[in-house]
Amino acid sequence: MEKELPRHADLVDERLVYWHFMAALIFMGASMLGGLLMALQLLRLNPFSGIELLSPGRWRMIHTNAIAYGFIANAFLGGLQWIVPRLTLHKVYNPKIPGLNIGLSWAIFWAWQLVVTATAVGLLLGQAQAVEWGETPIWIDPVAQLGLLLVAINYIPPIAKVEGPLYVSLWYFLAAFVWTFLTYAMGNFMPQYFVTGTAAGAVGGLFIHDLVGLFVTPLGWGLMYYFVPILLKKPIWSHGLSLVGFWGLAFFYPLQGIHHFLYTPIPMFLQYGAVISTIALELVVASVIFNFHATLRGSTGALTTNLPIRWFYSGMFYYFLTCLQCAFQVTLTFQQLIHFSDWVVGHAHMVMFGVFIMWQLGMMTYLIPRLLKTPWYSQRLLEWHYWLSFVGIGLMSFDLIILGIFQGLSWSSLLPWEHSLDLSIPFWAVRTVAGLLMIAGYLVFVVNVVQTYLTSRPAPQKAAVATA
Amino acid sequence: MNPAINQPSRTSRAQVLTTIGFALLILVPSVLGFANKFREFILLSRGEVDGVFAITPVVNYLLASLGFFCLFFWAIYHGMFRDIEAPKFTMLENERKLDEEE
Repeated sequence: MEKELPRHADLVDERLVYWHFMAALIFMGASMLGGLLMALQLLRLNPFSGIELLSPGRWRMIHTNAIAYGFIANAFLGGLQWIVPRLTLHKVYNPKIPGLNIGLSWAIFWAWQLVVTATAVGLLLGQAQAVEWGETPIWIDPVAQLGLLLVAINYIPPIAKVEGPLYVSLWYFLAAFVWTFLTYAMGNFMPQYFVTGTAAGAVGGLFIHDLVGLFVTPLGWGLMYYFVPILLKKPIWSHGLSLVGFWGLAFFYPLQGIHHFLYTPIPMFLQYGAVISTIALELVVASVIFNFHATLRGSTGALTTNLPIRWFYSGMFYYFLTCLQCAFQVTLTFQQLIHFSDWVVGHAHMVMFGVFIMWQLGMMTYLIPRLLKTPWYSQRLLEWHYWLSFVGIGLMSFDLIILGIFQGLSWSSLLPWEHSLDLSIPFWAVRTVAGLLMIAGYLVFVVNVVQTYLTSRPAPQKAAVATA
Repeated sequence: MNPAINQPSRTSRAQVLTTIGFALLILVPSVLGFANKFREFILLSRGEVDGVFAITPVVNYLLASLGFFCLFFWAIYHGMFRDIEAPKFTMLENERKLDEEE
């Protein structure tokens, strides 16, 4: 006899998924505003010149922190709230919090918004911690660490209850809960309290890259391995190959962060090790990309007819580009040219927005109408959102990558520093235009979400009739 | 039922060869790299004073990798890689049923 499954409504708290997505979109607005102000600053058009509270260095940190911890983390938490119960067929742990009358999942939601908002306020007040990507003020670090522990406590139990082999997404999620907790602790506490000097630099390098590779990447691939098969209505081409990708990531990733600190006093064998493991990781990336393209074979029409699939595979296109770029840029020879240049900024934008945010926006495009039980208000606005984002991030990344080469050539020719600034201005103007395209895409999406929400609400007369 | 989902969970020859190919390509250099790191770590701990501060990241890496090494063997002994393609069919079938009941 066929085993009866629990009901979706008993497994997933849809309101929580929705509110995580809304919080993510609010923080994305804050991040984009910070990015725009920074772009204007580079063009010498700073609208807040002379106001210490709104100085460019501070809003730049809000730009990066709001996107990483505000948008990306919230979108992942919303996604996990949907995916983990459906894949495991068990509810998330979610015990009641004594005295608060809410479950752990909602407690995590409110605590996380508090952490991100407090981070933004702390940064504006000039309390940043002197760790790149770990600028969260030191008094928030223990709260954020506790939040990550609670996330692990909430989501690991349903995965642990699964009998038999785990689906690859669950492997990625399981690892991400452990890795994120450890990575945050390593990056925020070790350089602050335990190690100093070059060792702290080495740990900082590990932290920067492990945030991408051990927090964002496993959760991102977990999402992809879940959503792509269900949208294409066919299984992933090879589950075995997907596991090779997972274990490859587990063993290769942890030591490559030092490639951020080539030509520093860190011992050369560590620098070489980081370079080799980065290049080796490209094989892992190749296995994952190969698997997804083999899955798409025979269903390429979905790229034009299914918008979430288009977001996912566009993200994968940028993922391939950015990883290929990575294999070159970590070599010592290449670093001589591009180190400290805008090449790195272009690369970072392509990774964070072009890959992971595009996957998350694809996820939202698919899930929001399901959560609201209403079709999208406008398909045309969805298309505008996609194209403005896709073209905007492409233009911004390539503009900054090319600028990085010019800057490197200018510096290596020992021309005056001002020469590199003068040649950068037109590129920075193009970057501002690209950013405005992305902001327009974001606004279009927000309008569509609001209108869809309004459509989903019953009209007052209908609601009164239903109540009567 | 969707015919794409209702497939026997047997692995095709192409999938086996591709998986083995990628596995060798990834795991062999990984093991070599790991062994090399470990050799360097031992040499370092024997007294190269200038490089002692490098122990922090190396120890981080060793601890993280050790955890995953243990997890890997735990997974093998608990049959996580037996019938390796089965979870992808089960997952899709469960999704279909959940959607039907929604």
